[in-house]
Amino acid sequence: MSTISTALRNFKEPTKEQLTQIFFSLPSVGSLDGTAKTSAQEVEKMDINAVLSLGVQGVEESYAGKLHIMSPYLAFTSLDRKSVRFTIPLSTIRRVERLNARAGIYALSLSTWHGQKIIVQLTSLRPTADLFCSLLRDALKIELQRGQMKLVKGFVKTCYSEALVSTTSTVADNEREDGSLISEEKADAAPRESTYHGGLGLRFKFPGDPKKLREASKIKLWTIYLREHGRNLTLLRYPQCTRLVQVGLPNRLRGEMWEVLSGSMYLRYSNPGFYEKLLDDNKGRTSTSTEDIEKDLHRSLPEYAGYQSEDGINALRRVLQAYSFKNPELGYCQAMNILAAAILIYMSEEQAFWLLEVLCDRLLPGYYAPSMHGTLLDQRVFESLVQRTLPIIHDHFQVVDVQLSVASLPWFLSLYINSMPMIFAFRIVDCFFCMGPKVLFQVGLMLGSPQAILKINGEKLLQIQDDGGFLNLMRDYFASLGDSAHPDSSDPRARAITKFQELLLVSFREFSVITDDMILSERRRFRSEIIHSIESFAKRSAIRNLKTLGRFSKDQAGLIYDALYKSMCIIPPPAATAPAPVLFNTNDGNEEKPETRIELRTFQYFLSEIATWARNEKIVMNGFQQRVDREIAEHEFIDRLFFFWDTSCRGALSFQDLVSGLDGVMFNDLMENIEWFFNMHDKNKDGFLTKDEVLTLSESFLFIFRYEVGDAYLGAVSRFMTNAFEYGDTLLPQSESENSNDGETSPRPQIESNQPYLNLATFRMVVLADEILESFFEADLSASFRLEPVPEMELPVSNSGLLGNLWSTIATDSNKKIFNTFTDEIGKTIGKHQVIHRPSIGRYTKLEEPKARESLLTPSMRKSPSKASLTGTSSTTTLVTSSSSSLAVDVKAEPAKALPTIPDSASFAPMVHAVNASLMERTPFAIDDAKDDEDESDDEFDDPDNDDQVMDEVDAFLEAHDSGLTDADKEVANDLLHAEPVK
Amino acid sequence: MSDSASGSVDKSVQVKLVLLGEAAVGKSSVVLRFVSNEFQANKEPTIGAAFLTQKCRLEDRVLRYEIWDTAGQERFHSLAPMYYRNAQAAVVVYDVTKATSLEKAKSWVKELQRQANPNIVIALAGNKIDLVQPSVSSPGALSSSESEDEADDATATPGETPNFSGEEPESLRQVPREEAQAYATEAGLLFFETSAKTGEGVVDIFTEIAKKIPIEHILAATRGTARSGTGGRGTGQESGVNLEETVSNSKDGCNC
Ligand SMILES: Nc1nc2c(ncn2[C@@H]2O[C@H](COP(=O)(O)OP(=O)(O)OP(=O)(O)O)[C@@H](O)[C@H]2O)c(=O)[nH]1
Ligand SMILES: [Mg+2]
Repeated sequence: MSTISTALRNFKEPTKEQLTQIFFSLPSVGSLDGTAKTSAQEVEKMDINAVLSLGVQGVEESYAGKLHIMSPYLAFTSLDRKSVRFTIPLSTIRRVERLNARAGIYALSLSTWHGQKIIVQLTSLRPTADLFCSLLRDALKIELQRGQMKLVKGFVKTCYSEALVSTTSTVADNEREDGSLISEEKADAAPRESTYHGGLGLRFKFPGDPKKLREASKIKLWTIYLREHGRNLTLLRYPQCTRLVQVGLPNRLRGEMWEVLSGSMYLRYSNPGFYEKLLDDNKGRTSTSTEDIEKDLHRSLPEYAGYQSEDGINALRRVLQAYSFKNPELGYCQAMNILAAAILIYMSEEQAFWLLEVLCDRLLPGYYAPSMHGTLLDQRVFESLVQRTLPIIHDHFQVVDVQLSVASLPWFLSLYINSMPMIFAFRIVDCFFCMGPKVLFQVGLMLGSPQAILKINGEKLLQIQDDGGFLNLMRDYFASLGDSAHPDSSDPRARAITKFQELLLVSFREFSVITDDMILSERRRFRSEIIHSIESFAKRSAIRNLKTLGRFSKDQAGLIYDALYKSMCIIPPPAATAPAPVLFNTNDGNEEKPETRIELRTFQYFLSEIATWARNEKIVMNGFQQRVDREIAEHEFIDRLFFFWDTSCRGALSFQDLVSGLDGVMFNDLMENIEWFFNMHDKNKDGFLTKDEVLTLSESFLFIFRYEVGDAYLGAVSRFMTNAFEYGDTLLPQSESENSNDGETSPRPQIESNQPYLNLATFRMVVLADEILESFFEADLSASFRLEPVPEMELPVSNSGLLGNLWSTIATDSNKKIFNTFTDEIGKTIGKHQVIHRPSIGRYTKLEEPKARESLLTPSMRKSPSKASLTGTSSTTTLVTSSSSSLAVDVKAEPAKALPTIPDSASFAPMVHAVNASLMERTPFAIDDAKDDEDESDDEFDDPDNDDQVMDEVDAFLEAHDSGLTDADKEVANDLLHAEPVK
Repeated sequence: MSDSASGSVDKSVQVKLVLLGEAAVGKSSVVLRFVSNEFQANKEPTIGAAFLTQKCRLEDRVLRYEIWDTAGQERFHSLAPMYYRNAQAAVVVYDVTKATSLEKAKSWVKELQRQANPNIVIALAGNKIDLVQPSVSSPGALSSSESEDEADDATATPGETPNFSGEEPESLRQVPREEAQAYATEAGLLFFETSAKTGEGVVDIFTEIAKKIPIEHILAATRGTARSGTGGRGTGQESGVNLEETVSNSKDGCNC
């Protein structure tokens, strides 16, 4: 019992555009089918150089950066990527004005729903700026038409920040803003406090002591920030924002800020009602995931009061189930319960649902997937980062054979929530949403940092001799996070600093070298290694889990697995695309674990990998290359085999079915093979073939022999038919031998055409009467199944980064096809194009005269039957239904003249490989020159956050930031603040 | 806590032991019972693995168990080799009220026998027998455990195979003792039925394993005195019987 997944093969490195989207926390396009976005309405994208300044008095800084329009969002980031950034839905932009400023300056003023005025000076060339503006205008228009503009009002009310700001706000603050819109909304927006979303914490208290957490002053600071720089949908992120996050979000605001920082708010905003509907649509549905969820509901932060109540448990259940319905392929993974339970303390179910989506999808990609490849990958990356930044520790661990991941894996999987006191873990989570996944690594790395923990723990770390010791040390350390870092200091301020504060400070300061970009490239570096190890693990356990290997060795079973795996990659079983396999056998029965099964189409491919006659192989020579084109053959015989092996009648075959099926034929001797072949055609298993079945069986012969050179096999089949009918007739006591008169096989369907006719003994006799058939059953049939190593499939990713990407797009199958067609064409024009079918058996080439063996009835047909006469015998003989266009399926004509020396089929393989290899090795075109440039521009990600300011008091303010502007530029920008709109 | 590193206790023999089994069968609970003689009704699922230690005295020798308690969910399976590598002993746990969990246990045994240390001692433990025992005390109180710790687990464990008061306990049983015993014998495993809740059978697992472990191998050089199990179930440094005191290492079951 095992599931086989090819999902990892489908991985694609994110494109640059996707990376930008990720940076701005935008939902990936098409990630939601529920959205109103139609594909026709192509999302407009454009970016442009711009200088941003704010229409806020007192804040006069300007920042050079890039303004992106990614409909329906507008986003900006300063060049250093940290001084300022925002992502706001277009629908929150209420007014756009072209500013009247100095000549040659092109500037826009954008007013948002919250009354901010954002001034952007477009510094690109005029036509570009014009284009940008018209795109913006169109995009805004579309939003208006979609009715999105109207949604803002209702949505914003669900945000706590509104209540926060409005309770303390004075009317004057907002009156300054023009927008008639705004003032009229405000009237009812302000007083309704109860409409905002919140988590269990509102009812069951938030963890931690609000006094100690300095909740009140944090709230105060945030209120100021949110009022000045926008909030929820329109938040502008300045370093101050990051800093406020780093000192810990206030409990009441935490959920909303997580939403904003992670971008899950955009999902909730653009999919109103989705969560409720999803739950409704799937009411009562169960699956392995729901079962697993049920097990863990009471095991999620059980010490928190909210989860000792039914309400808390029910909310947790709904959120986890909803996610498993939304993404059945991932379903549910332990640790998600802990995340969900944690975030539900701070946010509503709907908010939590979308945040979970962003977590599983974007922030922690592949962490919770069935293969957990993301987890494994990041563990590998983490190990490599330790090696880089803390070589001493790394070397020591190597020597004593301690695996880092025994400790670090749970940290990453549960965002430290499970590993340290909750109040501290939540602060790490705050930073994680704000600064991205690199935080997990930075915090993890500080464990061995010579400057920090090592000073305290360092000696101990180096004394550790085994995994267990390591874990214990870490656990003790985590438990002591609330203690003072400098208990002996005389300075009370220093004594007040907890180990946790020190931890954060150190991790961000010491490991600022760890950037998102570095993590991306490390992931790229190790991805194929991880995929290979996951796949080979899966393979080993699939083989181990076989109930029986039959007579195969483990290695042979491995080859069968490889062929199966390859066929699944090429023709994925539908289960993978539709409801995931997990959801299958769920009838309340844990009786059956999900098991991967392949359908007929995949089976055909599988068989074509193994059985020589299940593929059409054309040897093509065109003067440039010799290659073998392989196609899957389709024939009733293959379908028959499929159902023959489907012993449990499920219409789909498991790995075990394939192994047992192959075992049933590959080790057979002559007699067993004859019987096997007979049984395969005896549909009702009564021990007799009907006349129809005899015909079908003959067709099967013809199918298998279709590419044999010469007439030998054709002759054998026709003799077989003649003999079978003649012999069959005579052996039937009361048979009217009407069709044996003229000696011509005319199996016109008789009355008995579907009645028992030929038994095994007779069949055997007929077969043994013919040397060719005998030899076929003696050895050739079994030998036509070949377990050969499947050539390593190319992984979609190669570890050489961008170059690898390019290369794999060049060397795609379709490009090879183009190349082949191209050379074929040339070959044809110069008369060197030749195509030969490779025979499946290739033993007899000459027509064998039936050596009157034993005493068979008079061979009534000694000349080889023409093809026409054969097809005449049965209406259904379709020799090959493959699409080999240029070739007639003419068995006799082609081969003889085409290739005097048909190489033994075994020796073909190397040649083919050589051809393919040389094709692969062709130097790629000039495109790879572009590589370096691409890389460099990515380096802009690099932001050595000067986060060492964390410890500064909360109200530490912005220092002068390098805004990347000359003084002259600044002047212009300042001018703009006071500029009047055109007209 | 520095002493946790390496052989601080010179006389003891370290035995690496791994717990495997389907999710929620009670692996962590069994360990918790063994290590700190406690039971928690709602134990968080193990993420990755948890590590605990416990000493166990056998005759004149002290074994120090280094216990790796792994996560049960199927998708954590691929991590398991990381934990069972070099293990000298394994406890494969199933839940007597859940037939599939025995199937899973069997597949773990199979994997261990093929992939793990060839001398590994494997014990099979059918947990949660408290759920299938006719309540020892006739007074209707359901599942009257000896309530060793906080009283809150006196009632049925929520989220788990519920122990409804009206139910006849034996009907909850899905794995007959004989069946599992027969399998264990056939596969050469030690076999126990346990309850982490009441504590029944838990210590026996570890003492029996201790007896079966080829300590000589591990000890290699040190004294190779013969051993014969006179029920040396105690582990305390001095008291032969009780486990509680030996929590000296203060590793109580917090997931890490
Ligand atoms: N009645 C009863 N309940 C038990 C027993 N052992 C464990 N449980 C309960 O079963 C649930 C799961 O126990 P855990 O020890 O967490 O199970 P686990 O095998 O470690 O689970 P994972 O870590 O997810 O693999 C908890 O709610 C326990 O309280 C037992 O002996 N009797
Ligand atoms: Mg556990």
